[in-house]
Amino acid sequence: MSTDDTTDASTETPDARDQLLDLAAQFYDQFADGDVPHMAVPTRTKSNIEYDPDSKVWVYGDRTSTRSAKSVRGAQKLLKATYTIEFLARQLEEDRSSTLRELYYLSESWDLDEAQFSSQDESNQLVEDLEIVSGATREDFHMRPEESGATIMGPLLLREQTRRGEREIHCQEDVGEGGYQIPNNPDTIEFLDNDADFVLAVETGGMRDRLVENGFDEEYNALVVHLKGQPARATRRLTKRLHDELDLPVTVFTDGDPWSYRIYGSVAYGSIKSAHLSEYLATPEADFIGIRPEDIVEYDLPTDPLSDSDVNALESELDDPRFQTDFWEEQIELQLDIEKKSEQQSLAARGLDFVTDTYLPERLDKMGVL
Amino acid sequence: MPSYQSQLGGEGEIAEELAASQRSISIAEFFEKNKHMLGFDSGARALVTAVKEGVDNSLDACEEAGILPDIYVEIQEERDYYRVIIEDNGPGITKEQIPKIFGKLLYGSRFHKREQNRGQQGIGISAAVLYSQLTSGKPARITSRTQANDEAEYFEVIVDTDENEPEISVEETTTWERPHGTRIELEMEANMRARQQLQDYVKHTAVVNPHARIELREPSAEFKFERATDQLPAETEEIRPHPHGVELGTLIKMAEATDSYSISGFLQEEFTRVGSKTADGIIDQFMDRHAGRELTWRFPEAHEDADLEAAVEDAVANKGAEATAEFAERVAEALAEHDRVARHQVVAAVGEAADGIQADYGTTFGSTVREKAVAAAWGAITATREPDSYTLVDAATTTRKDDAVIQALAERLAAKFEPGDRHRVTREQLREYVDRAADMTEERDDATFGDTARENVVSELWDAALRVPDDPPRIHDVAEDRDMASNLLTAMRETDIISPPTGCLAPITAELVEAGLRKEYDADFYAASTRDAAVHGGDPFIVEAGIAYGGDVDADGKAEVLRFANRVPLVYQRGACATTDVVKGINWRNYGLDQPGGSGIPNGPAVVMVHVASTNVPFTSESKDAVANIPEIEKEIELAIREAARELKSFLNKRRSMQQRREKQDKLATILPEMAQKLSAVAGREPLEIDDTMARIMNDVLVTREREDGTVRVVVENNADTNADLEITEIVDAEPADADGANVVEMDGEWFLKWSPTVGSDEEATLEYAVDGDADPQLSVDGIEDEKLTIDT
Repeated sequence: MSTDDTTDASTETPDARDQLLDLAAQFYDQFADGDVPHMAVPTRTKSNIEYDPDSKVWVYGDRTSTRSAKSVRGAQKLLKATYTIEFLARQLEEDRSSTLRELYYLSESWDLDEAQFSSQDESNQLVEDLEIVSGATREDFHMRPEESGATIMGPLLLREQTRRGEREIHCQEDVGEGGYQIPNNPDTIEFLDNDADFVLAVETGGMRDRLVENGFDEEYNALVVHLKGQPARATRRLTKRLHDELDLPVTVFTDGDPWSYRIYGSVAYGSIKSAHLSEYLATPEADFIGIRPEDIVEYDLPTDPLSDSDVNALESELDDPRFQTDFWEEQIELQLDIEKKSEQQSLAARGLDFVTDTYLPERLDKMGVL
Repeated sequence: MPSYQSQLGGEGEIAEELAASQRSISIAEFFEKNKHMLGFDSGARALVTAVKEGVDNSLDACEEAGILPDIYVEIQEERDYYRVIIEDNGPGITKEQIPKIFGKLLYGSRFHKREQNRGQQGIGISAAVLYSQLTSGKPARITSRTQANDEAEYFEVIVDTDENEPEISVEETTTWERPHGTRIELEMEANMRARQQLQDYVKHTAVVNPHARIELREPSAEFKFERATDQLPAETEEIRPHPHGVELGTLIKMAEATDSYSISGFLQEEFTRVGSKTADGIIDQFMDRHAGRELTWRFPEAHEDADLEAAVEDAVANKGAEATAEFAERVAEALAEHDRVARHQVVAAVGEAADGIQADYGTTFGSTVREKAVAAAWGAITATREPDSYTLVDAATTTRKDDAVIQALAERLAAKFEPGDRHRVTREQLREYVDRAADMTEERDDATFGDTARENVVSELWDAALRVPDDPPRIHDVAEDRDMASNLLTAMRETDIISPPTGCLAPITAELVEAGLRKEYDADFYAASTRDAAVHGGDPFIVEAGIAYGGDVDADGKAEVLRFANRVPLVYQRGACATTDVVKGINWRNYGLDQPGGSGIPNGPAVVMVHVASTNVPFTSESKDAVANIPEIEKEIELAIREAARELKSFLNKRRSMQQRREKQDKLATILPEMAQKLSAVAGREPLEIDDTMARIMNDVLVTREREDGTVRVVVENNADTNADLEITEIVDAEPADADGANVVEMDGEWFLKWSPTVGSDEEATLEYAVDGDADPQLSVDGIEDEKLTIDT
């Protein structure tokens, strides 16, 4: 397999700071003209995402929400944005980084009470706003989330640019059973060599450990990526790069319930909250292995009944433009019909090796990956 | 007033024994025993009542004389007693009148007048004298000087309780510094426990009498209530009684005494608001009751059996065939003009036809012939009264009633009217007939006729009956016949008559109610309302209300309710007063006041004032402390309060939204400058000016001034949702030119340019003028709240 080194849009754009300052200048000009300062961002709801046939991912539609100083709430948002811009600009100037949570706590030190964030959701959302409006990414701002702890295991040699120098790591030979930990900005990674045939993204830690214990990565030349629930941006970004740069097919293996389908959705189609980065994060070619409702029936898996919130989530997915494909409509309707859900680990009912010996090979074969 | 009980049969001796101990009681004696009825029930209250009676008298006297009242009240401690002194600058009282006014109960000039006055019965001040002499044994000391006299009269008077006559102990002339006025000194057993009430009384009197200056000096304190207006209350005029307000006895007395001959003349002469038209209306109503109406029946149609013309022809004998036929034809023709015919119309038609034939043919138609003709024609008309009755009953009843039942009722009803009679009934009689017929029908035909159905039938028949052309009786006959008088009274009450004139009333007027409140309460908001006059029992009355809110008004506990009747504060018996009831019944939450439980006196810094002015305020008792619960008056009180309360509501709403606006503005005034400062720092640019942005955000009216060479442009930008009517004034210290549309006035070297533009929502107006470049104009904007205005020059 070839090693590809292209880092086009992925690398940090040197002008992230300028983009932030441009935004500040925009507010400045609005004041100077006697206008009411405002900024428009796309409405981040599922009714405002649409499929972009060119990039094959889901992006925001035309609807926007305006944060305007006309109301006290809006003015407060813009004030916080201004403070955050100032903070980020300085951070970039000094070439430092911080976490989203640090930003939240840092706001406590801002002199005006009105500028302080009331919750981390608020600061996270503001950073997303700034990403959208400036066109840069969080990583460009040197903002990172808390360590997600997502890992990768498989026949892959890479070079990571750490703050303490370059490290060359083989994701099977140089790592323990826990695997290689994906850094917050995977664009600091360079792929050197690999023997992989495909990427297998797994939702739960228990299943990942089972696959590693059974030597699935070695036997099938699989890169086992641990999603750890709803995948962090870094995990999704890395997955996309594995697909785009190494030309590996990507498969997603989750529980058989509505929340897990959304995990697949955010890997393949992009999430609603970060649809402005879909092009950068989503892997539209990713395939869903299961657990499919169909598998529940076919393999007669142990099940739990659907709760009311499960049913609501399934019905809401039927309305979700990302899931409006024949496959998903069929599967979701089937699940609503049988009123049951199953976990990945329910496969153990057929023996601990069933998943590696039977289920995955069968499914992967059918999907044309093996 | 002797009151002998009539003797019982055979018990003569006991009765005579009793009679020996029975004697008449003087009115003064009566009140001596019933002090409480006049408000002298306790020492504390006696003091308040004495002051109140004195001050009321003084105010009445001054107003009658057109003098702005200047009243001085003093309470002195005099060993075991208190001395009450009330002094006014009124017209003074003549020497002859002084003893009677102060030393005789029920002596006064106003009892018989229908006119708004504070005092009415002539009891008050003499009752105070009586109380004073009873408790202290001292006479009342009165000094009075009329304008015409150089010297004042001085009297010491008590009431001779046996005779209810004044007893004068000292009578002399004295000098007095006042040019005119009256002073009374009363010594009495009393105490100052009701000090608060006393002060309230005086203060509240000052509120409703903004034209009076009142001073109150107590042993330990002194209060002065200055005059707020020089405008005396409108002079009141006496009015004649209103037809809705007299009682039977009064009516009979008036009817006996009148010089008029006819009822119409009597009504127009003796009552207010009665002209000839109204009098006719009353007389019609009266005649309906007095003489009744004549029931009409449908004129029989040609094809029907009852041939009126033939019947009349048959009834006339020996008058010549041609004349008879002509006569019958004329009668029939005349009657055929009516759809329905009453008997008096038959009589008239026959009379006219007979006179005509007499003239044309020379044949005499005597009364016998005429009567026979009338009987024949009436017989023909009433022959069909059964189907006719059915038509009427059917029209009056619902379609759900069984047809046979209606038929039965109609037949029974028709049977009540004998064919030969005049069919003259009063409505009462008609109702009786209907009742009897209906009762019978219910009994025999197993049907029900409820009260409504019966009344409907009565109405239908009554409407089909005609007023009789009889002359109404003379008024003197009415005076002698109680039934007739009663019918007349009912007729007067049932006729719509416009309200009595209000010239007899002197409302304070909304403007002065507000001025009065403003004078005594330092509040943020005042509202007042004066209702139009209404009538209760023939007496016109006007209700006024006022509200003061906020400011220094006591915010703890309940709102203060001030009650007034004819400009007199009501101090006692708050709970028994209609005013209090109405205030409690209003949902004050609707008007933005706090009212726990949604009823009762509202809480908060509010004063609610109600004034009832009437020629006869209905009080619950002689001591005149509480207005009686008369629905008409309660309704007006409520409307008056609500009128003022609506203004309060919009004030409070506005204040609330201004408050929110201020809060928003305050908040933005911390956020936006901080943001602007940060932005200048981040962008590395000069500090920002953000007034215009603020104006835009606050939907303000933004006024800016641009100067370019010699031209000044004042730009008004309205960011609000509503039009702005502004008055913009530029004061320039050099002569301006080309002032477009401005009104320019020069004063002491300064030029005032005034524009009054109306700027629509989201619109902009530019006012332009030319002035020397060095001039320093000053801008001021009126017509808009400061909160909504930003001036950026």
